[in-house]
Amino acid sequence: MDRFGSIITAAGLGCFAFAFVLSSLYPWMITGGSKPETNIAVLAQDVSPEFRDLKARWPVAFDAAYPQGVDALTMQQLVGVSPDDARRGRSEAAWEASYAQALRDGRDSYISEGCWHCHSQYVRPVSNEDQRWGPVSVWEQDNNSLQRPMLWGTRRVGPDLTYEGGLRSNDWHAAHFWRPSEVSPGSVMPRYPWFFREGWQVRRRIDPEIAERTGLSGDTSYALPGVYDSQAEAEAALQSTRDSLPNSLAAESERLFVEQGKGLNHRGLSMLAYIQWLGTWMPEPEPEAES
Amino acid sequence: MSTVDMPFDDAPRAADSAETRADELVHKQLIKWHFSFGVAFLLTSMTAGFLVSLNFLNLYPFENIEWLNAGRMRFLHTNEVAYGFLVNCFVGALYYAIPRMTGKPVFSKKLGYLIFFVWQFLVLATSLGQLFGFAQALEWGETPTGFRPGSWDLEYIPVDFLIELGAVLVALQFLTPLARSIHKKMYVSQWYLTAGIIWLILTYVMGNTLPEWSMPGASGAATVGLFIHDLVGLFVTPMGWGLMYFFVPIILRTPVWSHALSVIGFWALAFFYPLNGVHHFLLSSIPMSVQYGAVISTMAVEIVVTTVIVNFFGTMWGKGYALRTNLPIRWFYTGMIFYFLTCLQCAFHTSLAMQKVIHFTDWVPGHAHLVMLGVFAFWIFGMITWLWPRITGNEWHNRRLNQWQYWLTLIGLLIMFIDLTAAGLVHGAMLDNLSPWMSMVEALKPYWGVRTFAGGLILTGQVLWSYNLWKTARTPKPYDYRVDLVQPEAS
Repeated sequence: MDRFGSIITAAGLGCFAFAFVLSSLYPWMITGGSKPETNIAVLAQDVSPEFRDLKARWPVAFDAAYPQGVDALTMQQLVGVSPDDARRGRSEAAWEASYAQALRDGRDSYISEGCWHCHSQYVRPVSNEDQRWGPVSVWEQDNNSLQRPMLWGTRRVGPDLTYEGGLRSNDWHAAHFWRPSEVSPGSVMPRYPWFFREGWQVRRRIDPEIAERTGLSGDTSYALPGVYDSQAEAEAALQSTRDSLPNSLAAESERLFVEQGKGLNHRGLSMLAYIQWLGTWMPEPEPEAES
Repeated sequence: MSTVDMPFDDAPRAADSAETRADELVHKQLIKWHFSFGVAFLLTSMTAGFLVSLNFLNLYPFENIEWLNAGRMRFLHTNEVAYGFLVNCFVGALYYAIPRMTGKPVFSKKLGYLIFFVWQFLVLATSLGQLFGFAQALEWGETPTGFRPGSWDLEYIPVDFLIELGAVLVALQFLTPLARSIHKKMYVSQWYLTAGIIWLILTYVMGNTLPEWSMPGASGAATVGLFIHDLVGLFVTPMGWGLMYFFVPIILRTPVWSHALSVIGFWALAFFYPLNGVHHFLLSSIPMSVQYGAVISTMAVEIVVTTVIVNFFGTMWGKGYALRTNLPIRWFYTGMIFYFLTCLQCAFHTSLAMQKVIHFTDWVPGHAHLVMLGVFAFWIFGMITWLWPRITGNEWHNRRLNQWQYWLTLIGLLIMFIDLTAAGLVHGAMLDNLSPWMSMVEALKPYWGVRTFAGGLILTGQVLWSYNLWKTARTPKPYDYRVDLVQPEAS
């Protein structure tokens, strides 16, 4: 057994192949190999409310990243459209197509930013993990295209993200990506300013009465949805908001103004879509075999 | 101590002409280049690691620069160590060891230069690709596939496939002399090196294709675990042991203690080591039968490891003073003690009771540093320290700097290992007892601070050593190899 040829065949090829069969092919035969993986188009069939909310909050960036055409209707626009109306079906199809794209883009960023080095995506049956995160992971839930390559991770400097979808709002995630320590003091997560774009926003100064009652400065303001590329577009948005207000809210109208601001860009939007998707999809349970 | 008056025995002089003939087979320029680039990548990798450790203290200096972000810098740390440092230095050492063992030159000197340039290009393309967002989701193999994850849309240099080509060229270069060896029987070093070169090719293909293009979720995880483990166990470990079986007897000037033990060690490594793969994802949704198999074979590996360690300490029997007088031997044997320790750790780690606590925690990076730095890098430091004056022909610029490197690295590593192990226990306990997340992070920060300090010690040691290598190569000062021969103690 100490000749060149026997080392190559027995050790080099033989031992490798034996281990490959036992620790890669065999688990594959039991899991993924026995049931085809679910592709992204199917995963995107149930469009999350958070994804629709992204369009409402950052419409300009959203339309640039995921142009949906006129078919896609917002939740407000759907009010009063009957369930049988064909417009509903066309709208859903448009939403699903853009959701599938966004999930894939977001997953790609999750890989290239190395998120999976500090965040895991599987829940173990020990260490009270089912209490902290949710149900213990089963292989069926990872048998999908967004888990190829698999993103289980091996470390938890940050929380497990298996069931992260819908736990926190889009605003929370946006603020967190901008500067994690602002929403979670002491956090060691890096910041991701390249998920954001500069633009112009319409802001609303708070009601002086509320300022007085809460002790906030009278200059405190918050941004209305929408980050526009130019000041002129933001001014136009301000004007249309003013026009839509009833006369009784004239004072309110005076408190609106335009300022420079930041909003999510293509990458930020897709990352939020992906994170808000995690854990929202579960495979159909196998029908019980008839005995 | 004067070098001329030392009492030499006759053996080395009688062997001088054989030594010269063997030396003619060796391409010293290639060794020097591979070592130089290996050490350069070691420095950049350690700098990257040091910077990432600052991120854990909220002190990261480049937090607003996209391509220098801590998350991407972390890719650089592990990949430059694996592909830039370890591979370069192992290949450099193979250019020395294989022609001398087989009595045949490598396939071609020109191919050697081609491999050298191709490999440096690939390591740089890997690092740049990772910094600019093309990393692959494969631990220890984040080398860009060049394709969009899970698809065939090309968007960057397909580094993975080129590395595969590079590995085939390396195999052609070194398997040729191994196959044509002038000796009928193969020495144990040659077994390890032959098998290790084949295993690198197979492992790399498997890990970089299956989880990416055909195996999702649990089966992908099983394969990724197998890749991580094979890369270390079937490439780095055989290269390391193969070269130890070559260098240790040469430096100690004594045969290996037991040939039978080396046979057991090799075949048991070949058989049990690759079966361990799935132990990287225990208590997961990978079928439990596969997990139990991995646990048992991991424990079996410890038996193998013991045979190899016993063999090497048997080889040193009666020459223990070499640890004091000969720095390469001290690097080698320190590394072997750490090897025994890490493997002993593995046997315990894989018990499900311990996995419950230590998985996902800082314990694991502690273990990884002990094995990658404490074992394989220590061995490479020893090999380069022994070979550098021989291939440059120059006496060391300053031998004390090498001692400084040894002690700074050793102390730094011990602090880092103990610190991260302790941090892992705190981390694991606080995950288990449902502590609020941020209070856990705050509890870990002091440990991360100590880790940064330890990293600073290690980095300083390597900077001193690199400076010494540089000055030695640049300053002509004749080297008398007899200074470094292990002499029997004056009784």
